[in-house]
Amino acid sequence: MASITLRDLTKRFESLVAVDRLNLEIQEGELITLLGPSGCGKTTTLRMIGGFETPNEGDIYFGERPVTWLQPELRNIGIVFQNYALFPHMTVWENIAFGLEMRREAPAKLRQRVAAILAKVQLTGMERRYSHQLSGGQQQRVALARALVVNPAVLLLDEPLANLDAKLREEMRFYIRHLQREFGITTIYVTHDQAEAMVLADRIALMKDGRLQQLGSAEDIYRRPSNAWVAEFIGLSNLIRGTVAGRSDGQLSVRTTAGVFACAGEGATGDVVICVRPESLHFGQQHPNRIHGIVHERVFLGNLLDYQIDGPDGLRLRVQADPSRVFAPGTPVDVSFSSADAWVMRASGS
Amino acid sequence: MAGLDATVAVPTPPARGPRFAWVVFLIVPIIVFLAVFFLIPYANMVYMSFLVKPAEGAYLKQFTLENYGRTLGDPFYWRILRNTFWYSLLTTAITLVLGYPLAYHIARAPKRWRGWLLVLLISPLLVSVIVRSFGWMILLGRVGLINQLVKSYGGPELHLMYNAFGIIVGLVHVYLPFMALSIAGALQTISPDIERAARSLGASPWRAFWRVTWRLSLPGVFAGTLLVFVLAVSSYVIPILLGANNVLVMPMVIVQMLLDAFNWPLGSALAMVLFGFTVLLLWLYVKIMNRAMRWTAR
Repeated sequence: MASITLRDLTKRFESLVAVDRLNLEIQEGELITLLGPSGCGKTTTLRMIGGFETPNEGDIYFGERPVTWLQPELRNIGIVFQNYALFPHMTVWENIAFGLEMRREAPAKLRQRVAAILAKVQLTGMERRYSHQLSGGQQQRVALARALVVNPAVLLLDEPLANLDAKLREEMRFYIRHLQREFGITTIYVTHDQAEAMVLADRIALMKDGRLQQLGSAEDIYRRPSNAWVAEFIGLSNLIRGTVAGRSDGQLSVRTTAGVFACAGEGATGDVVICVRPESLHFGQQHPNRIHGIVHERVFLGNLLDYQIDGPDGLRLRVQADPSRVFAPGTPVDVSFSSADAWVMRASGS
Repeated sequence: MAGLDATVAVPTPPARGPRFAWVVFLIVPIIVFLAVFFLIPYANMVYMSFLVKPAEGAYLKQFTLENYGRTLGDPFYWRILRNTFWYSLLTTAITLVLGYPLAYHIARAPKRWRGWLLVLLISPLLVSVIVRSFGWMILLGRVGLINQLVKSYGGPELHLMYNAFGIIVGLVHVYLPFMALSIAGALQTISPDIERAARSLGASPWRAFWRVTWRLSLPGVFAGTLLVFVLAVSSYVIPILLGANNVLVMPMVIVQMLLDAFNWPLGSALAMVLFGFTVLLLWLYVKIMNRAMRWTAR
């Protein structure tokens, strides 16, 4: 087990900056997800940590040990790829034993360890099968077993669930989480699926265009996004542009085209964006910040109703409310939100 | 399987009639072509190899085994047969050693380059074998470029041509693209992630290659070696031009027998013997390779 430190990690491909001065510290035993849209540099980051790409600048440490220039086979890592990358010419047993063989484990000990990990991933009895004789979920577990059997210092997972169907994916999320806790292994999990990131991660590192946008727990990022891009990437959000007009009692008052709103938050000045999540907008006038609008559309989602409401000045609001009260499209309504639910972010330069 | 299918009531698709006609329409031309230009002449040759060669005329319609007796009983032909296979084997081995790294780099090159590299690889095929052999003569001849260079440094005259060396140089040059293409095809299907997985598990680049990439590329190696060996065994122009008559291989002897000696029955028998031994060698090779590629049996 080891912590992982990335210091000013930068990777350029010709003119493209794939990873741009990335700084990250991952604690021992922590599971962190690198989350972001495709092309955000998350896979390149993983490959640099694995030793398959060399950074142009910056350093990588496992614990105190610098590994930036170390060959992959000397890093003691376990990796699971999106396509599993099982060795198709080897049986399940041979696949899992491969890493131990490379480490010249004694035959008796090797057999014992392979058998133990097979039992752990519930594949006992499948030893002699080839990967094409296994289901997607079984291949996934072989790949996990193969990576874990060597007791790696670091586990790297590159979209490991992307090729599974929705139901299995859901199960495997919890399974991987459980396995990771049990082994207590420092893990970096690359995904573009925010639900996966939220279920799995101790902390999420959100990336865009090679840059770290925000690092924090799922709740942190959801409640206190660092910018409008983060707010829109994670969950649904209503973004209202405005300017800070004044402050009192640790609250900001923000002037927008839809009215003046009292918001939580301290530092912000000038042009800002208010983020209000759809479930924080309530019908009625019970909260201090009120917007009048007309129901545009209503969708039944089972546990809640999803409304789109036309506010003043072209503002389109998303409201998710419990289905006890129903408003038909065309109905004029008031919605309100508390100042605590209004998160103020600096408007980004772009 | 057939029994299972029978129990399932499948409505006969009405399209079967016209579709069947289409298949026939598409497949008949090639069958006719092969029959007329390959099967019938070949059968004729088999037939011919059992006929008597009279003093006058091409053949007598009289059954004999004498042609095979002469071929297999004469150490001269055995030596030529051995030479033919030996040069072919060497050619195959050398094209494999040279072609594999070439194929590897093509298969692992960025996608937008790959097409151009393949074009570059097969571009020598645009020049006829005869022209290329003359090219080699200019390089390898007694007063060729290489010898002039060696001499200008005071070296001895090298015998680079009109011997086995010249033949093998020519064969390797001509057949290298076939080997590299076959292997590149197989290597392209191997995800780079598979090699990365092996490295991550503690394999050095060399061990990752040997234990994983090499094994997975065996179908391409198999196809390439088979192709090059068969082509080399039957090659005629290059041995003639670069070996002159100092080195004999079976195709040369067969042609001489058919055209110069006008002995069609014996020439046919020689061809059959070459064919028979080639098939035997290939059969052995296929058996060995099938064992090495057991995992591909799905």
